[in-house]
Amino acid sequence: MIFDSYQAYKQAGFKPKACILGSGPAGTTIARKLGAAGIPVVVLEAGSREFSDESQDFYRGRTVGDFYFDLDITRLRFMGGSSNHWAGWCRVLDSQDFEPKAWAPDTGWPISRADIEPYLPEVHDILELPDFRPDVPVSDDIRWVQLIKSPAVRFGEKFADELDKSKNIAVVLNTYATELTGDGKRVTGAKLWSNGQDAGTFAADYFVTCTGGLENSRLLLWSNQRSNGGVVPNSAALGRYWMEHPTFQGGNAILANYSEFEVDASNEAFFSPTLAAMERLRIMNFGIRLIESPYPNVKKLIADLACTAPNMAEWMSSQLDQRLHCAAQLYVAWEQAPLASNQIELSKADVDHAGVPRIELHWKKSPLERRTLLEGLKLFGTTMAQKNLGRVRIDDWISNGGDYPTNEETAGHHHMGGTRMGTDVLKSVVDANCKVHGMDNLYVGGSSVFCTSGQCNPTTTITALACRLGEHLGKVIVV
Amino acid sequence: MSRFIRKMSRRAIVQALIALPALSLFRNQPAVADPDEIVEINGWILRRSDLA
Repeated sequence: MIFDSYQAYKQAGFKPKACILGSGPAGTTIARKLGAAGIPVVVLEAGSREFSDESQDFYRGRTVGDFYFDLDITRLRFMGGSSNHWAGWCRVLDSQDFEPKAWAPDTGWPISRADIEPYLPEVHDILELPDFRPDVPVSDDIRWVQLIKSPAVRFGEKFADELDKSKNIAVVLNTYATELTGDGKRVTGAKLWSNGQDAGTFAADYFVTCTGGLENSRLLLWSNQRSNGGVVPNSAALGRYWMEHPTFQGGNAILANYSEFEVDASNEAFFSPTLAAMERLRIMNFGIRLIESPYPNVKKLIADLACTAPNMAEWMSSQLDQRLHCAAQLYVAWEQAPLASNQIELSKADVDHAGVPRIELHWKKSPLERRTLLEGLKLFGTTMAQKNLGRVRIDDWISNGGDYPTNEETAGHHHMGGTRMGTDVLKSVVDANCKVHGMDNLYVGGSSVFCTSGQCNPTTTITALACRLGEHLGKVIVV
Repeated sequence: MSRFIRKMSRRAIVQALIALPALSLFRNQPAVADPDEIVEINGWILRRSDLA
């Protein structure tokens, strides 16, 4: 069932056991799991079926620190959530991403990759993915990895019919919780806002916040403040350890044989470090993306090489004569070190139309990440040269320690952390089952529970964790 | 002048001085550059043999 307002929903007399906030990949997946288990669940979606400026305005906020996207363009507030502008790139976090790294504080998850693997067949169905091929070692340091570009499932579009026909799932559009109320043990209710006005209070046995990697923290910070700590009793880490995947062009490569790596339909290929290389260099994970260079750039690159290695440049010129695909731009996206100082705070000066403080995001890249960028490119370049696969030139701003450019990709629009998973209540918000520490009936879905980010796009892992949480709740909730 | 030098004959000192350049034969010769060695020049990551 899908309702356009809370008033219409109330008239239907539906009695849910659980309330899910948000209809993005996490919220929709958990709702489908609960519905399939015969558990009545309501999904509150703040937006409508389509994008609107009015709805999007609730996402405005401010960033302090490094340059970042406007907070109202980096996510979407309507049915299906941010899957509506997702590019469809898929890969699951590697086993090594879940392990603690001695050289990077506060890394490591309380679960392993094996805990989400049973859900991957389901994830492949949801995201319409073929099987991943195993990573291919290029050297002891570098793996050629696969990142599948899926049809970019828009969860709102794909599952609208199924949700509408479901007897166990009610989706209420234009409706959201401005705050949860709690007594330090349980969430006792939610204050609702529907179609631009106060819609009263709402109660359910269980609440699952799936409002996104920024908004989950905002909702819980505000709710906790209003309930004097009654919603997140252990709140030391709430809003903290927020992460992105910073992304910049890091250099160029001339390749001996571009087709060596069976590039995808966009002529792109992806590479990552081995755990041994990360450990030896004490760096974070990273992904290097090869993007085919336009012809004029290739000529410029060869001219530059001619000043340093004339014979090599001559050989490359002959390669260029034989085939046009012989050079690539190198884009690097990397794993951020989880830092408590990268955090979401509530603005003290600015509130949205419902009176909820807007987000103030404190975000800064660390020296460890800067070293990851430089050493990562050197590692890749060394492998390419040693294996005679090509030659790499690192951009001057990286070699010379210059500022990060502000006219490039910047980051992946991947919002992770803020309600991270863990066993230490001082450094995490939810436990291994995504249940808020100290609360009996409050769970969190989505990438805000990520402890570390790995180097790959998060949606596949978000969906796998949602399947896992949905199955867990299906056993916990008694109908 | 030390007692050791005073005891040496003038002839022995001259012979020692003449022999000094020959000592360089016992020094390690500079290593021949490895053509596969990885070098970084102007941002390029190259093999030394690329520089020929």
